[in-house]
Amino acid sequence: MSGDRREKEAADELRRVLAHLRDEIRSRFPVAAVAEPTESAVDLEGLWNSARRRLGTIGMSEHSAEVDEFGMDDEALRRVEPLLDFLAERFWRVDLRGLANLPAEGPCLLVANRAGLLPWDGLMLAHVLKRALPDRERPRFLVADSGMQWPFVHATIAQLGGVRSCVENAERLLAAGRIAIAFPEGAQGATKAWPDRYRLQSFTHDGVVRLALASGVPLIPVGIVGAEEVHPLMAKLKGPARRVGLPFVPVTPTFPLLGLLGLLPLPSKWLMWIGEPVSLDHPGADADPLAVAREEDAVRSKIAELVERALAQRESIWG
Amino acid sequence: MNEPGVIAITGLRTFLGGQLAERLLRRSPSPRIVGFDRRRPPGIDPRVRFHAIDLTAADAAAELAGQLENEGVEVLVHTAFRTDPTADLALDRALETDGSLRVVDACVEARVSRLVLASSTMLYGPWPDNPNFLTEEHPLRGHPDAHAVANRIETESLINDCARRRPQLEMTVLRSCWVLGPRFDDRVSRYLSLPVVPKLLGYDPLMQFVHEDDYLNAFERATLESHPGVFNIVGRGTLPLATLLRLGGRRSIALPSRLLYRMAYYPGPRRTGDPPAAFYDYLRYLWVADGARGWDAFGEPVYSTRETWVEFMSARRSRSAG
Repeated sequence: MSGDRREKEAADELRRVLAHLRDEIRSRFPVAAVAEPTESAVDLEGLWNSARRRLGTIGMSEHSAEVDEFGMDDEALRRVEPLLDFLAERFWRVDLRGLANLPAEGPCLLVANRAGLLPWDGLMLAHVLKRALPDRERPRFLVADSGMQWPFVHATIAQLGGVRSCVENAERLLAAGRIAIAFPEGAQGATKAWPDRYRLQSFTHDGVVRLALASGVPLIPVGIVGAEEVHPLMAKLKGPARRVGLPFVPVTPTFPLLGLLGLLPLPSKWLMWIGEPVSLDHPGADADPLAVAREEDAVRSKIAELVERALAQRESIWG
Repeated sequence: MNEPGVIAITGLRTFLGGQLAERLLRRSPSPRIVGFDRRRPPGIDPRVRFHAIDLTAADAAAELAGQLENEGVEVLVHTAFRTDPTADLALDRALETDGSLRVVDACVEARVSRLVLASSTMLYGPWPDNPNFLTEEHPLRGHPDAHAVANRIETESLINDCARRRPQLEMTVLRSCWVLGPRFDDRVSRYLSLPVVPKLLGYDPLMQFVHEDDYLNAFERATLESHPGVFNIVGRGTLPLATLLRLGGRRSIALPSRLLYRMAYYPGPRRTGDPPAAFYDYLRYLWVADGARGWDAFGEPVYSTRETWVEFMSARRSRSAG
């Protein structure tokens, strides 16, 4: 009953707004007054309802009433939990190893290799860690700038626990005692072409090592295998991309061949290997750039080593 | 320093200036309030010693200095800023930037010991690469189309420069986020009260509000106590715009940015002299400020963002019903 009334009120409101708009147009362009329809031929109520359904429910109409300070929405997470479980257990069969290397408590910075245009790897790592450590706060994954600027994608990633990657945000997460997952390759890691898969790109200048030093938290390398095959990037089309405002249009074995269906991830087999904490020899925020660069290289080769080890364990891409 | 006995307020006709004067007069013993504006505000407390002054006039600095000196003003609260930008870009600039410099000049001349400046977290600007919480040290990047914001950024940096050269004048800058409440009225509250709230398709930034009482309280404390520096004045907590609108039972319509920016010339916060992007980008990207320093200095806010919103919505509803 009250729903019907509300719909009617909404339609009335829309009618009022339209009437106001019509008056305004008429006062500015007297000619328009000539072609005045005597009666509203359009079904305003129906129009309103269908417009509301279409516009109101794209992507983000479902919100809980509370979000945390970075916009993570527990309610939305609870709703997609079965899907995340399905992805982790059945679809990608995520195999998590080296959990013992994680400190039992306190904040830490996980540093992993990045792959795939969408941050599935961060989402999955946070999810399987949360399931392995139900008593701890959900680990938060950092997402490179470019991914956080796309409409729809941004709001959804934030709801699911993603945080825009920048030093201030990471420091805040660590200061709050959380586990932060960083992908220092940044956008370069996400846009690797197929022949470069599992080849670690150079780190962006934000500096995971500097961050770990400044925050005084342990830095733990993680190798992720499987995310590269989710959207294997065969080519980047730059011509048509400019029209839609993207850096490039990705070409994968299924996209754009199968249309939107091609955006669905492929069921590769995943392995996540948590390595031993890197011992940082130069504590303090005011670190020597040379020492930081050397540590960064060390972290890079540790991640590469973990990736190699995980690749050797995997029988085949799908196996 | 003890509590100041004589306090001057510029911009007595603004919400902040008028309400702050009333608040200070309610204290006992109440300080003496000297008010400045172009015209006398209607219904102002007779205890306020009012002087008419036009800050856009070239001789305003000398005139203001003379009156500050005569009254023996110890603290000046500068609130003579537009609540909403107007289409008269030159006048806005003459008042906000040039006028503020005249106020600082007069303060130095009349040996006022503290200057409290009303500012806004809008000065940080909505940018896709903002960190989730902007601290007071973050650069003020503003918005390329928002002329009022650009004016205020220039004003703040000029005043900071002046104050740095004159250590005898203590500066307190309060940058507040969007203020909501039963009485406060500006283009933001009008936008949020539209029968159908237009918003951007695909964007849902975290929003942050401060309640008018907490906002006034911070200014009162900053006036009476010594807190040199810059402070963000915000409520605790953030909520996405879509959640806020749903909580308030508001109807909203999500439109693609190009369409909305074209349409917004019609119903939205119009006649500001700025293109709609200058307003709507603040509903597109994140510009949430970190309020920890302000909460430490001026006390815990009574209302969170959520409570501010609920209070604002219920006040609007009862107003439209009555």
